[in-house]
Amino acid sequence: MKLSPEKLRHLCKKRGLTLSGVLRKARVSRSAFYSLPLKEDTVFPRSVRVVADLLGVSPSAFLEEESEAIRKARLLARNVAKVAAKYPGIDLDNVRHTFLLLEEYPVVRLRRALTRARKCNILKT
Amino acid sequence: MHENAIFSKREISFLKELTRNHVEFMIVGLSAAALQGAPVVTQDVDLWFKDLNDPGILKALKKVDGVFVSSISQNPPMFAGDSVKLFDIVVHMHGLNSFKEEAKSAEKMKLAGVLILVLPLARIIKSKQALGRPKDKMVMRVLKDAIRAKDEKKTNDR
Repeated sequence: MKLSPEKLRHLCKKRGLTLSGVLRKARVSRSAFYSLPLKEDTVFPRSVRVVADLLGVSPSAFLEEESEAIRKARLLARNVAKVAAKYPGIDLDNVRHTFLLLEEYPVVRLRRALTRARKCNILKT
Repeated sequence: MHENAIFSKREISFLKELTRNHVEFMIVGLSAAALQGAPVVTQDVDLWFKDLNDPGILKALKKVDGVFVSSISQNPPMFAGDSVKLFDIVVHMHGLNSFKEEAKSAEKMKLAGVLILVLPLARIIKSKQALGRPKDKMVMRVLKDAIRAKDEKKTNDR
């Protein structure tokens, strides 16, 4: 999840306010506000709640979901970390690539293995 | 798919013909590992046949314009022809039980619509340990790491 400047600006405009004015009232600097760490499973930072109160909305009104690609990448990183915690010294690349390949159809996995071998041969000659 | 694409329609049709002729076989070696998600590289697709004298093999070969070349001096038997040149014949799997025994625990996988048997990763490792060639030792870690990742995925999917 991340803050959506567009949604925020729209909400401010609807209330006849400016984003800078709202942030000033909330006593939050613009740069600090946009770099806030936001996680779905944690309580929103105080500044986010203050801004939401000033606008009379829930914080979710100016948050946006991460793209599917980022969500998948985060999930992959979490899964790799889980395996690494269970098996110290494991090769993280092997684990990451296995997870990625398991998302493909078996025939695609096989094609990749054969294609890579052919490319290796090209490099040898 | 392009005619020269790797493992395309022509290779699939050979597997389809083998199945249609009730030939008992399974994919083994690194191609089997790749099918199960291991990030490995392989030159060919190893096929382990229960009975190399099964007439269904010749029937399947005929359908795809392939031929069977018997063992010549120290060379093992092989297939020849464009549609089958990617396949290697395996006559014996080191360190494993009989085909019949291994087939019981083999993975069943659909490969472009063809249901085939694939030797599980743990059994591939067992066989590579028995062989112990430098190239087998080199890939061992990748195979073991792949099993761990696969197990984790299985747990997550539950």
